[in-house]
Amino acid sequence: MNELIPLMVIVPLMAGLLISAFSKFNKATKIFAFVVAICLPIIPLASNYGLHFFGGYEPIVDNVTSVMFHPAITYSFTFLQQIFIAMIGILTFLVVFIYLTKYKEISGPYLFLLFLGTAAVTAMLLTDDIFHMFVFFEILALAQVGIVAASSIDYSYEMALKYMILGSIGSPIMLLGIGFLLAMTGSVNVTDIAVAVHNGLVDITSPVFLLSLGLIFFGWLYASGLPPFHTIKSGIYSKAEPHGAALLQSFTVISMISIVLIMFRIYSTLPIFEVLIVFFSILAMILGVSLALTQTDFRRMIGFLAVGELGFIGLGIGLGTQYAITAGLFQALNEIIITALLFIGFGAIVNATNEVDTRKLGGLLAYHPKVSIMLLIGGLAMAGVPPLSGFQSKLMLVQASLSCGYPEISILAIMVSIATFVVFVKTYYSMFLKPKPTELKVENMEVPRAMIFAMGVLLIIIVVLGIFPDVVTAGISNFVGGIL
Amino acid sequence: MAQTQLVILFTSAALIIIGLYSAIFIDNIIKKIIGISFIEEGANLFIVAIGYKPGGVVPILMPGMDTSWFAANAAYPLPFGLVLTSIVIGASTLAVMLALVMVLYRRYGTLSTKVMLADTSKQEEYNE
Amino acid sequence: MLEFVLMIIIVVSAILALIQKDLLKAAILTGFTGAAVAVLFQVLLAPDVALTQAIVGAAIVPVFIALAVKKTQRSDG
Repeated sequence: MNELIPLMVIVPLMAGLLISAFSKFNKATKIFAFVVAICLPIIPLASNYGLHFFGGYEPIVDNVTSVMFHPAITYSFTFLQQIFIAMIGILTFLVVFIYLTKYKEISGPYLFLLFLGTAAVTAMLLTDDIFHMFVFFEILALAQVGIVAASSIDYSYEMALKYMILGSIGSPIMLLGIGFLLAMTGSVNVTDIAVAVHNGLVDITSPVFLLSLGLIFFGWLYASGLPPFHTIKSGIYSKAEPHGAALLQSFTVISMISIVLIMFRIYSTLPIFEVLIVFFSILAMILGVSLALTQTDFRRMIGFLAVGELGFIGLGIGLGTQYAITAGLFQALNEIIITALLFIGFGAIVNATNEVDTRKLGGLLAYHPKVSIMLLIGGLAMAGVPPLSGFQSKLMLVQASLSCGYPEISILAIMVSIATFVVFVKTYYSMFLKPKPTELKVENMEVPRAMIFAMGVLLIIIVVLGIFPDVVTAGISNFVGGIL
Repeated sequence: MAQTQLVILFTSAALIIIGLYSAIFIDNIIKKIIGISFIEEGANLFIVAIGYKPGGVVPILMPGMDTSWFAANAAYPLPFGLVLTSIVIGASTLAVMLALVMVLYRRYGTLSTKVMLADTSKQEEYNE
Repeated sequence: MLEFVLMIIIVVSAILALIQKDLLKAAILTGFTGAAVAVLFQVLLAPDVALTQAIVGAAIVPVFIALAVKKTQRSDG
């Protein structure tokens, strides 16, 4: 059923608006939000692969040159989109579920922001139109700022304003890059632009083309929180509520891969493009892990580790072979799940102790054994310990960089994995294993059931993907073969 | 390149540079936000200039116009449609930023960025 | 010729807006820039964009800024 493709964006958007408008009917809104959240992962799984043309404007074939033109905004739905949208749907469901069970009196606008962000990243993944992607990129930035500002953590407004100011400098710059592309090709459809570039209608050595790459690349760096934006990105993770942060990092990963795939289709003929991506990815890996080592606030620690993991995704895409891009996208999928698990788990600890400084924590293993075991498995998956999913994708990345002829990069990747392991184990030790400090009061003994449930679901996905990676990688590999 | 287009491109470049300067170097947060709105206006101006055709007509097909003449002489309407969306997005981000500033002013009593946004980094230093 | 005049209005009012001590005046000067950009859109054969920009750039944005200034403080510094 191809009619379901636009519904993936429309359902969360409309649901968010309705919830925000009728939030005074508390009970009905809760039930409605729950039902919509269940629908989110089901819609992409029930839909067929295919294209959707808005307004029904089919592509036009030029009789002289037999080149296709796409006059409509096109959504293309393949296996890659299906798996990522289903995953973000599951995550949104879990986050909304945690939120609904945590508070008696729910806030309509906050749920609206959660659904708005989901709709925005879904549209960014689906769309084949670079301006459409830009519009949802802006909407996503607004939703992220709202989620951060809505949290009750100190200094969340300041962080939201900082992020917003950087974002509103970054997005017009990206718009300029899109403008340059539009000026050169006369189209905003990515397929049309890619055809024009590959057929030689655009002079790829011209400075204008390079400038458009630079401008869009800047927007991408901002959206994905790679250096020089890594500090602000980990900052907004630490200032959001834990379940909000779990969703925020998935927004970051998805916007990163959707923009980089569009850039890859347009600029892959430029050799400097892959060099740029690999350079910034390696910078992100090193900076992320080394800054995570110095943090004492464990939410910031996870934030920096998440930035470091983003470097692995970029590395896979920057290497540019089919196997490497498959590995990078698989790593993106794993990172969404693993980091969400870590954020929710550490959120449960914040909930129980009201303390975020690892130096003042300790001995929590006796109080929260379930949470600590699940967190340990999540952390090991992030560091890449077999047989968990993180191991499979990192192994693929190392193999890919070896087969591309860059053994240095594979050594670096392994070293960063080991450093990630060290950072995680250090934090884990000081939180759970070392003797409990006398001044620490464990206030709220119960961890909410919903959080345990969410972590359990994510853990099952991690283990399943770790044992059967072919379920995902085969489909992603097919998709990558299509765009190369 | 017609003279009009050149003038427009210079204007948009000037707006972007003025905006970037104020967004980065000016301390007052409201002026920073004004600068950001200038950057957005510059980008919009650039994109509209792409669609301009010297000596062309407005891309609205009136009754009685010859279609092939219209296709040859009308400006390119796609960038205009894009800019409509982008103007509205710019206004909405501006509104959100100003709302955040109004909340933060109540806490700090000043519009200076150094005071308003520095506290987070102080808190981070304390954590480290 | 019109575009030269508009260019000068835009650039001068933008710079003036940023060097004002009084933020309310800066908000009004932002409106000048927005209105001049709207006329430039009309020159560039985009009447629909010009209408939107005239409403947003010349009315809504300055009013927003002026409201924010009223709720905070008027002088820069």
